[in-house]
Amino acid sequence: MLHHTVCRAIAMALLLTSATVGVARAEDKPKIGGTLRLAAASAAGTIDPHISYETGFYWPIFYVLNDGLVTFRKAAGEPSNDIVPDLASDMPKISEDGKTYTFKLRKGVKFSNGQEVTLRDVVASFERLFKVGNPNSSLWYSVIKGGDKCVETPPTCSLAEGVVANEADGTVTFNLTQPDADFLYKLAVPFGSILPADTQPSDLGTTPPAATGPYMITSYDPQRGMELKRNPEFKVWNEDAQPDGYVDEIKYSFGVKPEDAVTAIQNDQMDWMYDSPPADRLKEISSESADQIYINPSFAMYAAEMNTNIAPFNNKDVRQALNFAVNRRAAINIYGGPRLADANCQVLPVDFPGYKGYCPYSKNPGEKWGGPDMEKAKALMERSGQIGQKVTVTVGDAGVDPQTGTYLVSVLNDLGLQATLKVISANIQWTYAQNSNNNVQITLNTLWQDYAAPADFLQVLFNCSSFHPGSDASPNISGYCNNAVDAKMEQAMKAALTDVAASHEMWSAVDHDITDDAPWATLYSPKLLYFVSKRLKNFTYSNQARMVFSKVWLD
Amino acid sequence: MLLAVLRRAFDMVFVMFGISVIAFLIFFATPGSDPSARIAGRNATPEMLAQVRIAFGFDRPLYVQYGRLMQRLFIAQDLTSFVNRGQKVVPAVLQATPVTLCLVFGAAVIWLTAGISLGIVATVFRGTIIDKSLMLLALAGVSMPVFWVGSVMNLITQSRFHDTWLFSWVPGLGYTSFFESPSLWFKTLVIPWFTLSVLFIGLYARVLRASLSESYQEDYVRTARAKGLSESRIMVRHALRTSLITLLSMFGLDFGALVGGGAILTEVVFNLPGIGRLTYQALQNLDLPFIMATVMYSTFFVVLANALVDVAYAWLDPRVCDAR
Amino acid sequence: MTTASNTSADPASKVPEAEQPNQFNVQIANGEASSAFAQKRLFQLRPKDKGNNPRGPWKTAFSRLLRDKLAVASFVFLAAIVLSTASATYYADHISQTDPFQSNLDGQIEINGDPAEIMAADSEGLGLGVTPIGPTWTGQYLLGADAQGRDVAARLLYGGQNSLIVAFASTALCLVLAGVIGTVSGFLGGIVDTILSRLLDIIWAFPIYLLAISLSIVLISTGLQIGPFHIPSNSLLLPITIIGVVYVPYVARPIRGQVLTLAKSDFVLASVCLGMPTARILVRDILPNVVTTLIVFAPIMMSLSILTESSLSFLSIGVQPPAASWGTIIQDGQGLLYTRPLVAIAPGLAIIITVLCLNFLGDGVKDAFDPKAKLRVGKG
Repeated sequence: MLHHTVCRAIAMALLLTSATVGVARAEDKPKIGGTLRLAAASAAGTIDPHISYETGFYWPIFYVLNDGLVTFRKAAGEPSNDIVPDLASDMPKISEDGKTYTFKLRKGVKFSNGQEVTLRDVVASFERLFKVGNPNSSLWYSVIKGGDKCVETPPTCSLAEGVVANEADGTVTFNLTQPDADFLYKLAVPFGSILPADTQPSDLGTTPPAATGPYMITSYDPQRGMELKRNPEFKVWNEDAQPDGYVDEIKYSFGVKPEDAVTAIQNDQMDWMYDSPPADRLKEISSESADQIYINPSFAMYAAEMNTNIAPFNNKDVRQALNFAVNRRAAINIYGGPRLADANCQVLPVDFPGYKGYCPYSKNPGEKWGGPDMEKAKALMERSGQIGQKVTVTVGDAGVDPQTGTYLVSVLNDLGLQATLKVISANIQWTYAQNSNNNVQITLNTLWQDYAAPADFLQVLFNCSSFHPGSDASPNISGYCNNAVDAKMEQAMKAALTDVAASHEMWSAVDHDITDDAPWATLYSPKLLYFVSKRLKNFTYSNQARMVFSKVWLD
Repeated sequence: MLLAVLRRAFDMVFVMFGISVIAFLIFFATPGSDPSARIAGRNATPEMLAQVRIAFGFDRPLYVQYGRLMQRLFIAQDLTSFVNRGQKVVPAVLQATPVTLCLVFGAAVIWLTAGISLGIVATVFRGTIIDKSLMLLALAGVSMPVFWVGSVMNLITQSRFHDTWLFSWVPGLGYTSFFESPSLWFKTLVIPWFTLSVLFIGLYARVLRASLSESYQEDYVRTARAKGLSESRIMVRHALRTSLITLLSMFGLDFGALVGGGAILTEVVFNLPGIGRLTYQALQNLDLPFIMATVMYSTFFVVLANALVDVAYAWLDPRVCDAR
Repeated sequence: MTTASNTSADPASKVPEAEQPNQFNVQIANGEASSAFAQKRLFQLRPKDKGNNPRGPWKTAFSRLLRDKLAVASFVFLAAIVLSTASATYYADHISQTDPFQSNLDGQIEINGDPAEIMAADSEGLGLGVTPIGPTWTGQYLLGADAQGRDVAARLLYGGQNSLIVAFASTALCLVLAGVIGTVSGFLGGIVDTILSRLLDIIWAFPIYLLAISLSIVLISTGLQIGPFHIPSNSLLLPITIIGVVYVPYVARPIRGQVLTLAKSDFVLASVCLGMPTARILVRDILPNVVTTLIVFAPIMMSLSILTESSLSFLSIGVQPPAASWGTIIQDGQGLLYTRPLVAIAPGLAIIITVLCLNFLGDGVKDAFDPKAKLRVGKG
């Protein structure tokens, strides 16, 4: 089995090189102009960068619209994990104790509405994060002084002590209550976008905010699409942080089913699609249009999240039983076959910082998954006394979710539960599943990284403090809360300030602890397959911003 | 005549009122659940529920709630989506209307032309194998689920035969406005037009065939024949004329129903952003404000079409006045 | 009777249901009436000439029906379809030997002694994608597998069961409701008639798909609570009730018209003069005619119900998983249209054949029961 996997890995590596060659091959001459046509099955609600947690979908757009003080380098591959100064003119000065960060604001950058970016905007933007109820406000940003109070009473949020502007020397200083190894990451993601101070302190919904990047949204209609045009005020200030775009316009069409999007790309009517091509079309495109396909590893997990607070999944035996019973190969077959995903049992994706292969839920437990163990699963079910319980599998209606959900129902029924499937709009599934009032028992999600550090998965998704009963913004969907594990996480966070390698060890232990508790049935780490039109050149895949929209040009 | 028009107008208002009450009751008074939860969508926060309760006045008596809804839908027009927060409902409906109109109008041209031709040909050859096979085809057309026809059309034109000369011109699914590119507009709509019209071609051919044969039994046709008029003249001047009035009234109603969102399946299959697909998307999101708006606006088209047909019919066929 | 002149009070609007408009009206009226006027004309349906026929109207009708070759052939075909769907369990157990409601994504079968993966990973090009097994044309996976590796042929039979059950039950519900409402309204007249027929007018003007969708969406999210009874949201009873109810006005209005005409007819007036009790008049003179009309409606209503059910299921607000119907299988097949188009095409063909047969049968039944339905526009 191991040998087999190695072979596959080599095949995969070859595949990747051929895909990367695609980039080199396309380097003829950059072309400026044209309209980049993107397609997606449905919109994803608000385009407020302080609220939308659509890391895979809207964040790549936000990355070419707005800027934070720092950002991820807009480049392909490994360098895209690095942080570079953006609206700040240099990397910040960090105090010895790691509690103050001082940024110098770049001068002369203008919003698309003509106003200059000022220190006031910076302060207001971070207060706004709390006022609009950012999903991670309590988890990520309450480390800023005054943040705790802002979480309690958002409308009157003031960060007078936490984010201090100094008009005299044009700097802004962040005072933290404790050191935070990941703080710069949290400023680099779109939540850290600087918006004009007069932006309304509530969800912008479908109204675009003023932009600082090379593009701005000129119209957004969730039923139809989104249009981006060049931001007339934009001038390049740091090629690494925010390069100018090649295309003049970006037109995102919503409501294009993935199968239709594939056809449209084949026929040169679309340039790129957000959704993965449906399994039905993979055979055809992989044999006919191999040079239009880019496969990239992604730091993501596809998992069935179980609600650990209500029956039957409040019973650990049932959760483990599902983990033993679920055939990850079957789930991968739905996704598009073994070349597009790696079976996985744990929380951290393959090759993610802190990742150490661990799969107790396998025929022969070890580092890798080797096949389902139905006998063990049934024995666990027997022991749990939950046989005959009703389970509703709630999934979104996009991508592989409905199919995988159907498969899960099948497995749960095999285990002696009475399972039914409930398919809801992908547009609302993510928030619906988070809200504990909806009593979702089990759901399916692809969990993407926000930035490449283990805390991003483990702390955001499993810390007691990221579970907010009755709220739409409660990324700990399982409602998992284990104080011992929380304590370990805190240690690991502390260790990260001084010794990154040691902290990764600790994170790895946390990962394995959580895997043992089985709040999830992790299925696989998906690879990202991008199918682009013949005329799209210079495809650049950043680990953070996916396809960098400002880097591609059209032939 | 004035009285008749007034009465029509009254009937129309009455039916609109009745439909709005029924729709209201379906969404607001179905036993067993909290309407505010349904309106706010499935992912409602307590704050949102409270907001909905205030906006719709769920603490008030039913008739007040009804009045408030109508006021928000038709007068203030400030109803917004609860899923895509902030998106106004009424502009979305108005924006979707031209797409549906284009779809239905084009299909109507096709089904009238083809339906009438088939009906006439079948009548001319009545009793022969041509007649029988045409009518069999027509019945088959009536028996096909439109969404299935659409899927098969997509399979043929977008995939299986897209690379052949036959369908290489077919653009991807979706819609292009006429003002953006008339040729692309035409190309994107041709296949949906045919798909939508299949059913109606069958239907109209059958109706016309039956109506024409009936006319041939009528006294005035016999008289005409006795006078020695040619068959084609009888067909055009006498039989067809009466039958077309029948067809016209049928057409008005079908057109109204289709414009009013009846083309939902075609729009969904071909991804045309019209009223039908708007309803469908609202349905998927369980976005009640949208569904209510589309239902109300659609009904308006339907009722209007009915009224127009009645007026036109009274005008064209004096016999109807007798009946009144 | 206050409603004597009701033909004109009637808002003459006939709203065709969305994309399946008018067909039964048209056919009911022997195809010669437009949809808008089919109803009006049915006001003038003549009562059967009683007593003229020594063999009784029913026997005559049946013998007429038996002489209609197309109708008989259609009936035989329909019977065959019903029988084959009824054998779904047997088929799944003994011929396909799989559970068509259980995913089978990692299994193998033997075709002529060779093992074959049910979900085969592709090897061409970049080697991406997994395709379900295609038609084997032998016992197992006769028509291939769907995206879950389930036997399509077996699912087609199970789905057919549900489609037919929904169609049959909703037709029965619709006809009974319409019969009662139409008769009560037409026979009692007065305020009852005014209220009932106004209500029918309104529902009639409601675009049928929108009505069905509105009802489905509300009921499928919560289920239906009628007094102490609760119909859960995945019950077949929901689509049955919804489809049954939305078509009531289409049948009830002509019935009401017919009863109205009958009530004014000479022989009923004569009976009234002779002092016959109302109940007796209803049972002897009115009901037989109503029942005949309902029989004429039955096949066409059933064909409409099948189409409506499949459309609702296609929009995923009809039959709910894990149950299947032809509509839901077409929906499943959408995702395989390019590699395994048969999954969507087969149930579509099943629907077309069934509906076509029902329409032929409907033509035959109408001709047999109401051969002289000579309908004229104008004063009756």
